[in-house]
Amino acid sequence: MPIDSPLTLLVLVPLLPLVAALVGVVFGRRLGGWAHLPAVAGIGASAAISLMLLAGTAERVKSASNDVDSATSVSVEGVTTLWQWATVDHPDLPAARPPAAVGSFSIPVALRLDPLTATMLSIITCVGLLVAIYSAGYMHGDPGYPRFFVLVSMFVFSMTMLVAASNFLLVYVFWEAVGACSYLLIGFWYTKPEAARAAKKAFLVNRVGDFGLAVATFLLWMTYGTLNFHDVTAADGTLLPGILGPARLHDAAGYVGGAVGAAICLLLLLAACGKSAQLPLHVWLPDAMEGPTPASALIHAATMVTAGVYLVARCAPIFVACPDALAAVSIVGATTALVAALIGTVQNDLKRVLAYSTISQLGYMFASLGTGTLLGFSAAIFHLVTHAFFKALLFLGAGSVMHSMGGVIDMRRFGGLRRIMPVTAATFLVGSLALAGVAPFAGFFSKDEILAALHGKGWPHAHAEHHEAGPAHHAAVGPAVLPATGFSAAGTAADFVSDTRVDAAAADSAAVVLDRPATWRVLFWMSLVTAGLTAFYTFRAVFMTFTGPTRVPDEAGHHAHESPLPMTGPLVVLAVASAVSGWWLFTTHALADFLAATPSFAAPAVAATAVPHAFHVDLAVQGTLAAAIGIVVAAFGHLGRRSDGPQLERFLGPLRTLFAEKFYFDPIYSGLIVKPLQALAYLAALIDRLVVDGLVDALARLPAGLGAIVRRLQSGLLQRYALAGALGTLLIVLALTWRMRS
Amino acid sequence: MNNLLDPAAFSPDRHLLLVIATPLLGALVAWVMGSRGLTAVRQSAAVTATVTLVLAGWLIVRYLGDPGSEAALPYATVQLPWLTQGIFDVRFSLGLDGLSLWMFGLSALLSLTAVLVSWDAVKDRPVGFYVLLLVLEAAMLGVFAARDVILFYVFFEFTLVPLFFLIGIWGHEERRRAAVKFFIYTLTGSVLTFLGLLAIVLWNSSHTGTVSFDIQTLTTNLANHPLPMTAQGGWLQMVVFLALLAGFAVKVPIVPLHTWLPLAHVEAPTGGSVDLAGVLLKIGIYGFLRFSMPMLPEATAVAAPWLFGLGAVGIVYGALVALVQTDLKRLIAYSSVSHMGYVVMGLFALTPVAVEGANLQLINHGLSSAGLFALVGMIYERFHTRSISNLGGIASRAPWLTVLFMLFTFSSIGLPGLNGFVGEFMILAGSFQRAWGGVAPGLQTAYLVLCLLGVAGVVLGAWYMLWAVERVFFGGSREPPRGTAAGRHGHGADHHGHDAGHADRCDLRWHEVAALVPLAVFVIWIGVAPATFLEPAAMAVRDTTHDASASFAARMSAATPQDQVAHAP
Repeated sequence: MPIDSPLTLLVLVPLLPLVAALVGVVFGRRLGGWAHLPAVAGIGASAAISLMLLAGTAERVKSASNDVDSATSVSVEGVTTLWQWATVDHPDLPAARPPAAVGSFSIPVALRLDPLTATMLSIITCVGLLVAIYSAGYMHGDPGYPRFFVLVSMFVFSMTMLVAASNFLLVYVFWEAVGACSYLLIGFWYTKPEAARAAKKAFLVNRVGDFGLAVATFLLWMTYGTLNFHDVTAADGTLLPGILGPARLHDAAGYVGGAVGAAICLLLLLAACGKSAQLPLHVWLPDAMEGPTPASALIHAATMVTAGVYLVARCAPIFVACPDALAAVSIVGATTALVAALIGTVQNDLKRVLAYSTISQLGYMFASLGTGTLLGFSAAIFHLVTHAFFKALLFLGAGSVMHSMGGVIDMRRFGGLRRIMPVTAATFLVGSLALAGVAPFAGFFSKDEILAALHGKGWPHAHAEHHEAGPAHHAAVGPAVLPATGFSAAGTAADFVSDTRVDAAAADSAAVVLDRPATWRVLFWMSLVTAGLTAFYTFRAVFMTFTGPTRVPDEAGHHAHESPLPMTGPLVVLAVASAVSGWWLFTTHALADFLAATPSFAAPAVAATAVPHAFHVDLAVQGTLAAAIGIVVAAFGHLGRRSDGPQLERFLGPLRTLFAEKFYFDPIYSGLIVKPLQALAYLAALIDRLVVDGLVDALARLPAGLGAIVRRLQSGLLQRYALAGALGTLLIVLALTWRMRS
Repeated sequence: MNNLLDPAAFSPDRHLLLVIATPLLGALVAWVMGSRGLTAVRQSAAVTATVTLVLAGWLIVRYLGDPGSEAALPYATVQLPWLTQGIFDVRFSLGLDGLSLWMFGLSALLSLTAVLVSWDAVKDRPVGFYVLLLVLEAAMLGVFAARDVILFYVFFEFTLVPLFFLIGIWGHEERRRAAVKFFIYTLTGSVLTFLGLLAIVLWNSSHTGTVSFDIQTLTTNLANHPLPMTAQGGWLQMVVFLALLAGFAVKVPIVPLHTWLPLAHVEAPTGGSVDLAGVLLKIGIYGFLRFSMPMLPEATAVAAPWLFGLGAVGIVYGALVALVQTDLKRLIAYSSVSHMGYVVMGLFALTPVAVEGANLQLINHGLSSAGLFALVGMIYERFHTRSISNLGGIASRAPWLTVLFMLFTFSSIGLPGLNGFVGEFMILAGSFQRAWGGVAPGLQTAYLVLCLLGVAGVVLGAWYMLWAVERVFFGGSREPPRGTAAGRHGHGADHHGHDAGHADRCDLRWHEVAALVPLAVFVIWIGVAPATFLEPAAMAVRDTTHDASASFAARMSAATPQDQVAHAP
């Protein structure tokens, strides 16, 4: 399906922010207070193009699904290759045991356009644009003003490339590139030692994740013989199936399971844990709040941290082939969601509350991805979209508070701010309602979908009945595939329902350890509890900040005021998005249908898990109840005049310490990993000096002990050594020549 | 001589001769200029280095445009009889091919950097300094262009002597010890290498009757009459391999033969460090590619697992030792040890992807380590200390210096989009390919573990470099204690005293920018479009490793139980 002009536009999406960054580097100083202009213009144009691409892709999805009504999986994919990055021909080894498939090492710089990419591009550039506009106000007067906008533009470039890349090497490239931008933005105020330390920590923890991505990439190359997502037709007409290309997606035996498959999935999960701050690699994100707040909003809330979600979603068919790895994704996600929410309940730094909230919400997305169903994948992306709006809103709101409070962000030190900054307070409230999952705000719908996906795995029979009662969408489901048992078709679509799959999985494969209904039930309840906790800590923050008697810290001076228009404008836009996007996307079902056409989700193994679109009243009630309890408890503890006291924390007892100390992750890592490694390093340095070098010196001293003659030769004069060397060499040459003649 | 300037008569071989002769002529000019003072000397040296670079760059462009370059044919060959009496056939034989092309260009590029970073640093006896630096440049260019064993060895030794004096005279406090250690260590190794090369020559002559020293001839003939690799033949091939290894391994250096390197680097003047790290270390790897692998393939195959292991261990070992260094220059020296571990690992993985990656990584490491050493020298000129704990907050005083240091740091830790990533990724991917399906089952676990060690080195590499960056560039400005400023250039301390004492701007000067920006351009270029640099070398690399790779595969098949071979798809 060649789509020519959209692909040209696709290239412009990352290119314009890159140009903006270069302009910023060259003219930044000269532009001075106008240094935001290149960034705003570049990202703005890029956002407009992204929305055009989104609309165009949606159009194509619609027409494609109308044209081909028999096919279950409409796949819309466009790929453009910019240049060949590296090629090593014929790397096939004359090997003892040739690997299953190693093609040539051929890496094109190829970008792709499909529904998932178009969605991500729109989110990144739109939030990026709002953040850039906001920053023009927030960063005003900062000595690093031009540098900030260069870095933000570089980030938008890297992030758009990451989601548009069409092979794993390119994904790795920009996976690290966004990490580098994040490093530079966390350490933006580099004279602050905490900022410099936090930047380094973020980079290093991410490098541990990148270790996973690198090894996963090698394994993918070994297993599939290519790193491309897309299929490539070689010059001689042979088709080289890409890892996520249509040819392999529709091949029943296209993906490996077993130990290798699980290893690939778990390594990808490790990478995703690093970037998306999931347990056990979440420790960098709270510290990353040392960076400027707009950067936190863009990178550490709305976009970069969702790269892990994107990666797992993109690799859906690979994961679906390994049910246990999928279950591991959900377990990691749900556990992270719960742990981060618990920590969030006792934080007093507004930005850190939001940081833990981000970790927790990303955990939701992972929990959803791990269900391995189409509903789960699309719910994760749905939540990614709504979360990008409301979390960016909350962060920018927190930044607005910080801006007005003279840099103070400790919630205990201010209160009643709704009187001073009404716009910020109102928009923050909208964001909080969305985050807490209160209907009809955005988070309610996306969270409901996630709970539904988990519920469907935990109680498959209930859902089967539920769906039989609903409209029969099943006609659209193609040959089903049993992920657990390998790749055998399980009969026709008509008799495929999710419970047969789970039963078959349980019966056929004793190897499946984690993927059992009991697991999913636990995960479901964990997620429900997390929903309640989310509502609690969110409203605790709202009450502590905006209600109660008006209090302003000294740092704010005498004229604490509402932020200027460049800052409040984006807040209002995001508030509107947070209020309506969930409702709109849910009722029209636009996003889910659209995403289903992504090649990765159109794979039969994923598409077969499609369930009819439904509103789950029972789950909605449970979710709303959890949120209501959380809000009521928060109101009981912190509303109004109680806004600043530790009322509720008294009831936690020793748990409070556990939460406040963040479950002791940092000291544990320091004691178990950092300190031992440092000790090892000291040992290595000692060995290096005493043993390795010591032996060399001892050898060198040896001749000195050999007597007077030798000592006389050891004159220390280089000329004499050189002469001796030359003479010796000459002698050897002569001797050898003599031997030759004879 | 007139038709030398005539484009038609300016044949590639003359061009090549001119490139190598220019630094020598320049050295003569610098010597003559000596009486006119420091400025004249360093300006003449800079002009010479620039002219050489332009000529070398032009030659490379001509090479790339030549149709023969695709087939890895030697280019611009010069063949002058040198010692051709009786059966002896020593020729002054030069030429370029895919293996040497980029190292040749890198030598020219880094020589200019070496001159420019010495601009203000060397004021003591400048004539000798610049003359030696230019002689060193000629020797480096010559090593990579030599196509005759004797000529190679002469140029090889000629790189040692200038550097010995550069370290010994213009170095820091412990310069004498460092220079002697460097010289003795390297010389001992290289004498053994020379014996090994002679043995190859003699073995060949016993079959052909002429004592040919031509590398090309030797390679071809040894493929037909390989040195014996049996107990009967006295394992001669292995013995010769070990003799060559002695010199090359010290030069690289392969752990545990590396201890001369940190000492030499720390004591060397910046210009010397740039050449040492950027070019001289690579001669060892180049030696493996040029001599050991094609001439002694079976011995290479036997040694490959061991050297692969030493490479991987060296990565982690070097990184760990770097982690606890307190001297910034020493830290970067140990990072060189770690990074050369990658190159050794890739070389002896013997897969095309890994070897091409290793060959590219030579250039990458040359650029990034030379850049970092140059920057450390600039920091030392400003603050008179290299101690990490005494430095701090340079970013607010020298922003562009910081930007460039970050760039080379990112290149060094393999950040994608920059050059270091390309080499590291290809080396590790190729090694993984070897471990996955290219070794006998008994070795597979060991190979996989070593590969994982290599990947873990990427994490450690980021750790020590970013730790150093954090301490040196970020945080509040720290005033280095004056006491440490007691360099041996007494007047230097006075001259820069005011720089060190204040939080004033002390950013890059023009000659420092000129020294670093060309390196930065290549750092980005190689990262974005590595194919440009991989392709010209691809054929040569494949040819040179083919026999060793095939021999390795044969050994692995022999060690694989037959039933497993049958099961292989």
